[in-house]
Amino acid sequence: MHELSMAQAIVDTVLDAAEKNNATEVVEVTIEVGMLTMLNPEQLKFLLDVIVEDTLLANAEIIIEDVPVEIDCRSCDYTGLANTDGSDHYLSIVKCPQCDERNVEILTGKECNVKTIKIEKE
Amino acid sequence: MHKVAEVEVQHDIMVANKKLARKNQRILDKDRVFSVDVVGAIGSGKTSLIEAIIDAVDYKIGVIAGDVISKYDAGRFENHNVPVVGLNTGKECHLDAHLVEHALHDMPLEDIDVLFIENVGNLICPVDFDLGSHMRMVVISVTEGDDTVEKHPLIFQDADLVVINKVDLAEAVGADSDKMVRDVKELNSEVQVIKTSLKTGTGFDDVIKAIDGFITDN
Ligand SMILES: Nc1nc2c(ncn2[C@@H]2O[C@H](COP(=O)(O)OP(=O)(O)OP(=O)(O)O)[C@@H](O)[C@H]2O)c(=O)[nH]1
Ligand SMILES: [Zn+2]
Ligand SMILES: [Zn+2]
Ligand SMILES: [Zn+2]
Ligand SMILES: [Zn+2]
Repeated sequence: MHELSMAQAIVDTVLDAAEKNNATEVVEVTIEVGMLTMLNPEQLKFLLDVIVEDTLLANAEIIIEDVPVEIDCRSCDYTGLANTDGSDHYLSIVKCPQCDERNVEILTGKECNVKTIKIEKE
Repeated sequence: MHKVAEVEVQHDIMVANKKLARKNQRILDKDRVFSVDVVGAIGSGKTSLIEAIIDAVDYKIGVIAGDVISKYDAGRFENHNVPVVGLNTGKECHLDAHLVEHALHDMPLEDIDVLFIENVGNLICPVDFDLGSHMRMVVISVTEGDDTVEKHPLIFQDADLVVINKVDLAEAVGADSDKMVRDVKELNSEVQVIKTSLKTGTGFDDVIKAIDGFITDN
């Protein structure tokens, strides 16, 4: 699993943005994690909590937003939420809910995006 | 006075890797190198298959051997007298575009036609990380069990070629290799699936033909 390296990349990204904005502390971090990434949000959150120690993020609240799978079907005219058969991270089987085909373009669901941070400044 | 400010960051770590992957592809294209990302389960036969290809074809091959400890596979490739760069991933479970870019610097690209990049044995993690290669070949074997495809659907959805290896052992382990082929086809109707045994040679010519086809189309 690569939650640890992703957690490190997230922390580096946040610290970079915080320093550019002259933050004295980061109070909140919002991350979007797509349902099609091979990342377990709970594990990610746990590791983030561990590695932020002694950084500007030490006391930040970490919010992880699941991003559902949205598709553009190539077999019919459907655009919208995919049918993922109730499966979640790791096992998503992506189908068009209208025509049941798998020939779809994935629009969302593959992200690991540091969306916003809330910082304190002097 | 302290003030709290909200900062838009919008930095997607997956997208950052994708950008590096495209850069790798540009580096490869500049020297007209066709590259194949080889992913698959641990011990499925990735190294054996690349070794057999090296011995069977005329084009000049280079190999990037990614592994938790790269010296084992890298040493095997070196015995075939091709340029090899080993990539130690340490505790990581996959290669990423950044690691591959480093390896490309050490690879004599002007002297090779086809670059194989053997990924870490893992059917889960490599899905998230594009390396910038022109095609992805997934190698599994019957000994992982004939439910392997069902259990790891995403890696097959993005594959260009799927090899189901060790069919000589199918009976011994009670695996139905035809079921594995059907499972792949259901996930990805366009992908070519080839059953092989590197021990007996079954199916190996079809793998060479398939890769030749991709090189010609590129
Ligand atoms: N019976 C049989 N054995 C095979 C076949 N292909 C490979 N092997 C054996 O399977 C073992 C693993 O093969 P490798 O080529 O090292 O597998 P790999 O996927 O590179 O392994 P990792 O890099 O460790 O993930 C070796 O002992 C091979 O000789 C096959 O078709 N039939
Ligand atoms: Zn991983
Ligand atoms: Zn449809
Ligand atoms: Zn190997
Ligand atoms: Zn570097």
